[in-house]
Amino acid sequence: MTVATIAAQGPAVHLTSQTRILAAAIAIGFMVFILELIRRNRLQERYSVVWFVAGLGMLAGAAFPGLLEVVADLMGVRNTNVALFSIILLLLLGLALNFSVIMSRQAAQITRLAQEQALEKAREQANGSTPRRDSDVVRQGRREAE
Amino acid sequence: MRTLVFIPAWNEADSVATVIAGVRERLPGADVLVVDDGSTDATAARATEAGAIVATLPFNQGLGAALQTGYLYALREGYDFCAHLDADGQHPPAEVARLLEEVYEDRADLVIGSRYRARGAGGGDSGDGGDDDYRPTISRRIGTSVFRFFLTLATRQRFTDTTSGMRAANRRVMALFSESYSPDFAEIESLQLAVRQGLRVEEVPVRMLERAGGASFLTPLRSTFFIFKGMIVLVVGQFRPRKAGAGR
Repeated sequence: MTVATIAAQGPAVHLTSQTRILAAAIAIGFMVFILELIRRNRLQERYSVVWFVAGLGMLAGAAFPGLLEVVADLMGVRNTNVALFSIILLLLLGLALNFSVIMSRQAAQITRLAQEQALEKAREQANGSTPRRDSDVVRQGRREAE
Repeated sequence: MRTLVFIPAWNEADSVATVIAGVRERLPGADVLVVDDGSTDATAARATEAGAIVATLPFNQGLGAALQTGYLYALREGYDFCAHLDADGQHPPAEVARLLEEVYEDRADLVIGSRYRARGAGGGDSGDGGDDDYRPTISRRIGTSVFRFFLTLATRQRFTDTTSGMRAANRRVMALFSESYSPDFAEIESLQLAVRQGLRVEEVPVRMLERAGGASFLTPLRSTFFIFKGMIVLVVGQFRPRKAGAGR
């Protein structure tokens, strides 16, 4: 196939209005689901932004099928499907890396937290653990006085 | 002048009490801390019975995190010097005392006990045959020589026993290691880090024994993974910024 014949084929993205409505519905449903997760405290706001962007991207694709062609053109990719999959793949790769970074940070935080707790207990033992016992006695004394 | 000897221990209930007793006998002036790295056996109880202070991590965090806990404790409780040794009985407490001498005399900031370096001849290349008491397995031997090569390349200083868990240190090292200590790759990265920060790191030949309890964690697959991780750590470590004002 030559470039001329491809150009003659016209727009490469053919979406029936049915598919477009379905895609839009999925995108909106996806974003509603994200909102619901936030509402039920299952997802923190700061981690939701990226998913909203993904939902909006889906919606934009459904509303303006020509958009993908423009993007593919900018990338210099002849096949819009290849462009679409490349973009999605790169985004998912970035997202997975982002999660690894977050995970590493949290692992470091958990380690420090565990260390602090262990140190606190060791310190108590080294100092004969008197401070806590004294306050316990005081508390108990108060309870008995009441 | 106060000294802390700490012992990272993970499921070493069989040997930890003996090690503590040995340290108390050889280093009567030192406080003994056992860092219990989330053991599921009676390690913490045995250590307490033997008269050590016990810092129990709520879950297993790995050797690096356990060692860092020891350095943190030493730093915060105001100890002047600290040393650590393994809980499995491989490290004779008498040798730890010799390492501590080096930091007491201020000949180095961090002293590593090396089972490969020949006694007496400080720079002599003895290879693996220098000590009759210690016979390493083949996978350990390969790992050791790989790390020896790369660490020497990275630090421009010759280290023979890069993974040695017997060390003595002063407060400069405590401050450095309690801030940054790789949880994955404690031994080697810490050496590189210390040298890069301008600290004086020295190896002292020591005698090591066969392990009294527990099994080595090194299987061939793990060794490979270990070596691979080590490469990443060392390469990245070369590009870490040096802290301004650190060192002497």
